[in-house]
Amino acid sequence: MSLAALTASNLRDGEVVFWALGRWAPRFADAELFDDPELGQAALILAKAQSTVVVDPYLIDLELEDGIAVPTSYRERVRALGPTIHPEMGKQAEGGVVIQALRVHSGGARSSGRLGLIRLKK
Amino acid sequence: MYRYDAIDKSVIEDRAAEFRDQVARRLSGALTEDQFKPLRLMNGLYLQLHGYMLRVAIPYGSLSANQLRGLARIGRTHDKGYGHFTTRQNVQFNWIKLSEAPDVLDALAEVDLHAIQTSGNCIRNTTSDPCAGATAEEVDDPRVWCEAIRQWSTLHPEFGYLPRKFKIAVTASAQDRTAAKVHDIGLVLRRNREGQLGFEVMVGGGMGRTPYLGTTIRQHLPVNHLLSYLSAVLRVYNRHGRRDNIYKARIKILVAALGAEDFARQVDAEWTAMDRQAVDLPDIELARIRGAFGYVPFADLPPVSGVFEAARKADPALARFARNNVKAHKVAGYAIVNVSLKAPGEVPGYGHSEVRVTHEQNLVLPHVKLDDLAAVHAGLTAAGLAASNINLASDIIACPGLDYCALANTRAIPVAQSIARRFAEPDVAESIGELKIKISGCINACGHHHVGHIGILGVDKKGEEFFQLTLGGSGAEDASLGDVLGPAVAYDQVTPAVDALVEAYLRERRGAERFLDTYRRVGLAPFKAAVYADAH
Repeated sequence: MSLAALTASNLRDGEVVFWALGRWAPRFADAELFDDPELGQAALILAKAQSTVVVDPYLIDLELEDGIAVPTSYRERVRALGPTIHPEMGKQAEGGVVIQALRVHSGGARSSGRLGLIRLKK
Repeated sequence: MYRYDAIDKSVIEDRAAEFRDQVARRLSGALTEDQFKPLRLMNGLYLQLHGYMLRVAIPYGSLSANQLRGLARIGRTHDKGYGHFTTRQNVQFNWIKLSEAPDVLDALAEVDLHAIQTSGNCIRNTTSDPCAGATAEEVDDPRVWCEAIRQWSTLHPEFGYLPRKFKIAVTASAQDRTAAKVHDIGLVLRRNREGQLGFEVMVGGGMGRTPYLGTTIRQHLPVNHLLSYLSAVLRVYNRHGRRDNIYKARIKILVAALGAEDFARQVDAEWTAMDRQAVDLPDIELARIRGAFGYVPFADLPPVSGVFEAARKADPALARFARNNVKAHKVAGYAIVNVSLKAPGEVPGYGHSEVRVTHEQNLVLPHVKLDDLAAVHAGLTAAGLAASNINLASDIIACPGLDYCALANTRAIPVAQSIARRFAEPDVAESIGELKIKISGCINACGHHHVGHIGILGVDKKGEEFFQLTLGGSGAEDASLGDVLGPAVAYDQVTPAVDALVEAYLRERRGAERFLDTYRRVGLAPFKAAVYADAH
C-alpha cells in the first residue's frame, strides 16, 4: 500500500507546510496521510488553487519507521526537520516522537550496502 | 574603498521600492508565482528547502565595517543570527520572510548594499583578490577595474538576458586568490616589457557538470580597452551561446565548440567593428574611481614591530596564528590578517574599518599594524575566530548543501565539519601543510570541488548520500581539474577516506612538497590503494 503526504512552502515566509484536512500545518506530525492515490491527487488540486497561500505544492512518498510514517526521500526528511547542522533550528527544535522517527530514519550519518564493497584500511 | 555616488544610491533605493510593490502584488494575488519568480530572482531571493534565501552582493568581496554591521543587523533582525559567505565573495541569508524582504532590501540600501544581479542570466558580482591594495605582489589595484566592471555591467541593457549567468574575476598578483581560470572570463593584470599595464584575457573557464579551465584569447589587452573588449566577448556569447539547453548554455561550451582560436577571431572582429570610444572608460572616470581606492592613512612605521616580536615570542598561539594567518603587507609596519570562519564568533574592528570576503569563505583584515597584531589576535580569540588554519586541512570550502539548498543531493557542511574535527589538532594540521579540501553537495559545484587538492562531490545513489572524491585540482595560478579517485564512498566514510589520503601523502611526500605537488608527481595509484585497500 502506498502512503503519501502533501507539502508546499508557505508564500509569506517560505516555511515548509503540510496539508492537514483542508488547512496547512507547519509540523509533519500533523500531516494528513493518504493511502489512496486519488485522495492525494484531489488534495493536490485543491492546494494548487491556493496560490496566495502556498508555493509549489506536491505529493511526497512515505514509508514506515517503527510504525510511524516518514518521508521516503532524505531531502523531504530534511525539509520536515530543519538543517542537520542546526538541531536547534527549524521544526526539529521542539522534538517529539515523529521528529525522532524522522531523525532515526535519516540516520544522521547513514551508510549502506556499499560499505561491504569498499572496506577502508582503518 | 569606493563609495556609492548619488546615482548608485538612487538605483538601489528605486529597486528596493519597486520590489516592495512587486511583493505586495504577489501577496495580494495580482501576480502569480510564475510571474513573480523571475522578479524575486532578479533581487537575489530564492525559495530554498526551509524558506527564502537572499543572496546579497558584496562588490568584489569588499566591505566597510559599517556594511558588515549592517549585514549583522539583518542577520539578527530578519534571520536567525547568521549568514553564509559564498565562494563568490557574497553572503546568503537563509531564513528571510517574503513579507519582510522589502525591509531587508531597504536595510541593505542604507549601507550601500543590494541583491541586484546575484541571480539570473546576467553578469554577476566580479571576483577579486581579497588582498587587493594591501599586497606588494600586485602590479595594480584590481579593485579599480572591478569597480569599472561593476558600473558598466549593472543593469546593462544588452547583457541582462544572456544565455546563462556570467562570472568575471580580476587579479593583479602572480599568486591567484580568485580562481580566475574557472571563471567565464578571468582577467590577470600584468605589465609587458615596455612597462605598460594590460590584461591577460582567459575565457571559457567554469565548473559545474562540465568543468573547463579558461583559455587565453589575448595575452596583453591594453587596460584602457577593457570594457569594449568585454563587450565584444559578451556580444559573441550573446549571439551564439546556446539557449536551447541549460546544461550547454555557459560560454565554456561555446568556446569549446568553436575552439578558442575561432572564438577569439570572432571577438576580434566584433571588437574591431565596435565604436570602442563609446564603451571604454574615459580617463577622467578611471581617475575618479582610482582615487576612491588610493587613500589609506598608513602611518610611517618601522618594518619590524618590537611589540609584536615580543608578544610572538611569549605566546605560542600568537606565533602559530602569525605563521598561518598573517601575510606580508606592502607598507612597512603593517600586515594582512586572514580570519578563519571555520569557527563561530564575531569580528572585532581593526584594519582601517575594512573587511574583505575571500572566495575560500574567510575574511581578511587588509591593513593591520604589526603593533596591533597581538590585540587583534586576542580579540579574535575572545570571539572564537582565531583558528590558525588558513590553507590547512581544516580550512575547507563547503557549499550550503542539502541542509539549505533546494538543488543539493547531499549535505556538505557536516562533511566539512567532520573532516575539520579530524585535523583540528594544530600541530597535525601544520605538519600536513597546505591542503585545500573543497566540497559540493551537487554537480553544480558551488563548493569548487573540481579545483580542490581533494575535491568531494555529493551524489545521490538511490536516495542515499554518497561522495565522489577527486584529487589534484587547483583553483590557483597552477590551476587544474581534479581526477576522479574511484567509486563514491558513503557519508560516514568520507573522513576516514580523507584520512587515508593524507596518510598516503605523508608516506609519499618528498621534502617540503605540498599534497598537490606529491599527487602530481606520483599520480592516483598510491592514493587509490590507500582508500580502496580491500575493495572487490
